[in-house]
Amino acid sequence: MTGKKNKVGNMESIRQTQKKYCSKALIAAIVIGFVFIITDLKPVGKGLILGAIFSSVNFVLMGETLPLKLGKSKNKIFLLSLGSIVLRFALLAVPLIIAVRFEKFNFIAAACGIFMVQIVILLEHLVQTISSIRKSKI
Amino acid sequence: MEFETQTIVRMCAYTGGGIAMGLGAVGAAIGEGYTASEANLAVSRSPKISGDIFKNMLVGQAVAESASIFALVIAILMLFLDIQTAHVLKASALFGAGLCIGFGAIGAGIGSGFPGGQACAGISRQPAAASQLTTNMLIGSAVCQTPAIFSMVVALMLIFIDFSNAPLYPTWAALIGAGLSTGMAAIGSGYGGGLAAGASCEGIARQPNSVGNVTTTMLVGQAVSQTPSIFGLLVSFILLFKTFPQSGALSASMALLGAGLCMGLGGIGPGIGNGMAAEGAVKWVARNMNHAGELMRTMLVGQAVSQSTAIYAMVVSLVLIFVI
Repeated sequence: MTGKKNKVGNMESIRQTQKKYCSKALIAAIVIGFVFIITDLKPVGKGLILGAIFSSVNFVLMGETLPLKLGKSKNKIFLLSLGSIVLRFALLAVPLIIAVRFEKFNFIAAACGIFMVQIVILLEHLVQTISSIRKSKI
Repeated sequence: MEFETQTIVRMCAYTGGGIAMGLGAVGAAIGEGYTASEANLAVSRSPKISGDIFKNMLVGQAVAESASIFALVIAILMLFLDIQTAHVLKASALFGAGLCIGFGAIGAGIGSGFPGGQACAGISRQPAAASQLTTNMLIGSAVCQTPAIFSMVVALMLIFIDFSNAPLYPTWAALIGAGLSTGMAAIGSGYGGGLAAGASCEGIARQPNSVGNVTTTMLVGQAVSQTPSIFGLLVSFILLFKTFPQSGALSASMALLGAGLCMGLGGIGPGIGNGMAAEGAVKWVARNMNHAGELMRTMLVGQAVSQSTAIYAMVVSLVLIFVI
């Protein structure tokens, strides 16, 4: 019973983290993409938003597969990780293939877009670190 | 059976793309597996804070797999890009690009798993330091990606620079050598950087007050661990941009291929060795902050000595390029 409660609590905390970073990544991509679109760089804006959508989906899937990896042996975890990577990367390949195939989407922007969640995570912690350093100086 | 040049270029692009993604996935999978196995240990030790451990694991793994996403980008480019140049040199450049990012993503993928795993273990020991541990883990993981970024830069150069004016012999070997040099040298640096980052997370969990000293030592240690991959990058640039006179002799081609292999293989050991020296220093700085300066000096001396083999490899590579 306690184990089940823990599992539900864990999934809830994972979902909160996903919600936080995915929404920030998508908002950032939409704002930046919109700026590109109104400055007549439509393919760049569209590519960035397309990449960011798939980056968010990848992050959600990563969180959903996390509980599967717990309580298993090292070899099984490795195989599960490899399977999860192959599946998620097949999904991440979609915006890149679309961007290579169609001129409506810029490839470099789509490639940057698929790193949107990672960029948001790193930026958030960078800002936190800088602000904590400033506070400690004051 | 005769092949058209365009067919050969396509064949090499597909093979290179396969190598890039195949090898690129291995490193990230091992790194993620390590993080998950340490998270198992952490959750079993402190089941009450499993939510925090999961969050840290998720964020750590997201950053850790960046290296293999670089490999994915290059692989997709090679598989789907409309290649106009029908020249055999393009084929060798594309094959070299696949080797470069494929090998280059292995070390960074495995290495960035270490801080993720140690941060999960650290949170279970020291829940109050969870935020510091996550930040330190992210810094360590991000720095681990540098050798993979070098590999991606060389791979992109190999894909997009037009080499069709260069003589086929021995430039074909120089292009594959350029890919091997940066790609293989990045394995050691990525892995070594991860060792230092992992030790820093363990150290902060043990002694949260030491975060400033530990992070500084980690960053210096990681920076020195990157040196072999910078040597690899240097040899790659020479192989990419030096104009080689046409030579039908097989020895001239093999000398250039050998130069790339020499620097690539020669960079693996020093990268890992430097990482081990940094790992030791970071670990002990956390336990004995008062002697952080001495520990840093000892680490740098150890790393300099460990570096010498990478310098020998670079010297032999330069001899192979410029003398033979």
